[in-house]
Amino acid sequence: MKTWSRVIIAGIAMAAALTSSSAQSADDANRSKLTGDEILQTSDLSRNGWNSYSVLTTIINYEDGELKEKGSFDVSIKGMNKTLVKFMNADVKGQYLLMVDDDMWIYMPNTRKPIRITPLQRLMGDASNGDVARTRYAEDYSAKLMREESVNGVPCYVLDLDAKRDGATYKRIEYWVEKETKRPKKAEMYLASGKHYKSITFDHYEETGGRVLLTQMTITDRLREGRTTVMKYASYAEKELPEKYFNKDYLEKLR
Amino acid sequence: MTTRAKIFMIIIALPFMMAYADAQDVDYRFSVVDEGTLSKLDLTTPLNFHNQTLPQPTSANNAVSNLFLEYGGLSTSLNLSAFANNVEAPDYAFAIRELAYDLSLSDNFDLTVGRKILKWGPGYAFNPTGVVEPQRTPSDPSDRLGQNDGRTLVSLNGFVGKSSLTLVYLNDAKISAGKLHGGEQDGALRVYTFLNGLDLSGILHYREGDRLEVGTNWSYVIGQNLELHGEFLAKRGSSFLYHQIIASDNPEQIFASYPYVALYDHSNDIFYKLLVGGQYTFDNGLNVTIEYYRNLDGLTRGEWNQWMKFVKFQNGIQQGAIAAAPELIQPSRYNLLWALQTLSPRGTMRDYLFGREYYSVNAWSFEFIQLLNADDGSCVIIPTVSYRISENFFTYTRGTLFAGSANSEYGALFTTYSMNIGVEFHL
Repeated sequence: MKTWSRVIIAGIAMAAALTSSSAQSADDANRSKLTGDEILQTSDLSRNGWNSYSVLTTIINYEDGELKEKGSFDVSIKGMNKTLVKFMNADVKGQYLLMVDDDMWIYMPNTRKPIRITPLQRLMGDASNGDVARTRYAEDYSAKLMREESVNGVPCYVLDLDAKRDGATYKRIEYWVEKETKRPKKAEMYLASGKHYKSITFDHYEETGGRVLLTQMTITDRLREGRTTVMKYASYAEKELPEKYFNKDYLEKLR
Repeated sequence: MTTRAKIFMIIIALPFMMAYADAQDVDYRFSVVDEGTLSKLDLTTPLNFHNQTLPQPTSANNAVSNLFLEYGGLSTSLNLSAFANNVEAPDYAFAIRELAYDLSLSDNFDLTVGRKILKWGPGYAFNPTGVVEPQRTPSDPSDRLGQNDGRTLVSLNGFVGKSSLTLVYLNDAKISAGKLHGGEQDGALRVYTFLNGLDLSGILHYREGDRLEVGTNWSYVIGQNLELHGEFLAKRGSSFLYHQIIASDNPEQIFASYPYVALYDHSNDIFYKLLVGGQYTFDNGLNVTIEYYRNLDGLTRGEWNQWMKFVKFQNGIQQGAIAAAPELIQPSRYNLLWALQTLSPRGTMRDYLFGREYYSVNAWSFEFIQLLNADDGSCVIIPTVSYRISENFFTYTRGTLFAGSANSEYGALFTTYSMNIGVEFHL
């Protein structure tokens, strides 16, 4: 090989090395710029389009692949911490779930009074009330960026979410967020006892009202083999919701 | 037009009303429940020896339809029922359980006028602070057949952040023969706030001619699984009507007139009702509720025993086991019938424990209720299995078992056990 040739090859190799190194540095810089909490806040935008809005949620419960239950809910969300869920199925019509911060009440038309419930009490299937009502994880969990890894070929940040309060739906969540879009990709949920409780995959996103929002996620129960719940979201709409709708005593008026 | 024809016409009209409701953005719920009941009677109880005092059915069928309609602020609950058993003639009834108008005065104030069911208090089976609610039974907390009726009221609600204030005026007014007749009047005030995870309400209640009742209720959630709640209501004296026999030292007497009086109406002693309870949800979804209820209006064990001696004496006369002058036999029968009014669906004695376990898996749900009289150890056990056929159809089987010694509250009741099988349709 001629000297010129060697110089050129060495130059190319150095340039490649420098490029690679500068890309790594840029990545490191990028990584150092975004904290876990910031990634989490950004990822929440894919599940909450507006400050005050409503969305129709369908929960489909499967056992060993067989459809067992299907329920529809009209979910109204105001600000960071208030959610009102109206049950739409014929057998539970008139039922409401109110969630303010970590606290929940259920109103059933037969008993005619709001009853305080615990976060573990479920709407139906394997979806806990928190799965429906608490869609802003940044409010409930503090996030630490652990590492980066690919999920099905998609580069993701891996966050470790730790519950800020006892009332959060889960004690700990391992959370994968797509690097490029900052959309949630999957999650592993753990109870205070340390038990692996649920796995969630965030399956589909669609553009609605000028924003790309989550339209389907799948929950797999890790305590009970073979049970999965699919949650579908449709008809996202920005809506002004009066403050009194989120007062416990107003539930008896909603009916 | 006969009652049957009217009911038939209403049933025919319902689907048209639904269709209209759909077209007019009227919110509605409709349900039909048909429940068959088979009962095994206790033929030895002195309360109803050989089913003679107050004949009870051994089989019955109850068909109930409930329609709830809401348009704007106006809402109504209509109830149509048909009841048949092997003791009485079939009975058909139509009731407007609720008819009220809710008016939003501003973002902070609401006004309600009309007939409406209001229930206060976090208790599951018992609600001492439910001063404005219709009477209901702890063994059927969810009112499965929708039998509770609203009360005529005017209610003003104020909402500020996590607090609210409710002022209610109730008047059990009725229209009969085209005229409005004023009924008993009640006034109640509830102040509610939510403070550091604690639901806290203060309650004042005044019934015309009675003394002021003061109460509070609360609920609190600890962690993921545990909810605790309590209720307390107290007043000086008691307007509760007691059978005079409990204050008498002679259970072998016959009363010539209605024997119930408010024995402690002028007492200055504090009479209270207390409830403490909680519910725990296990990681697998099993929900367990436990409550303890104490009611100082209830009979003590000694008062209950005195009343039972009186009942046995009257029953002895009726059965000829105790010799009595012929002219006393008919009054003695009235005494026995009057005596039965001491029994209350809310519990006759002072201390009760309530337990409920609930678990649902797929289309199946299982409920197990226990109601224990802590004064005499008798109990009611109610297991229920429900199956959800579809979003619109449910079926359930419900058993009720009464257990206890012959002198105890639930052991002395008319029925040993009963079974209900029901089908529900929801639209």
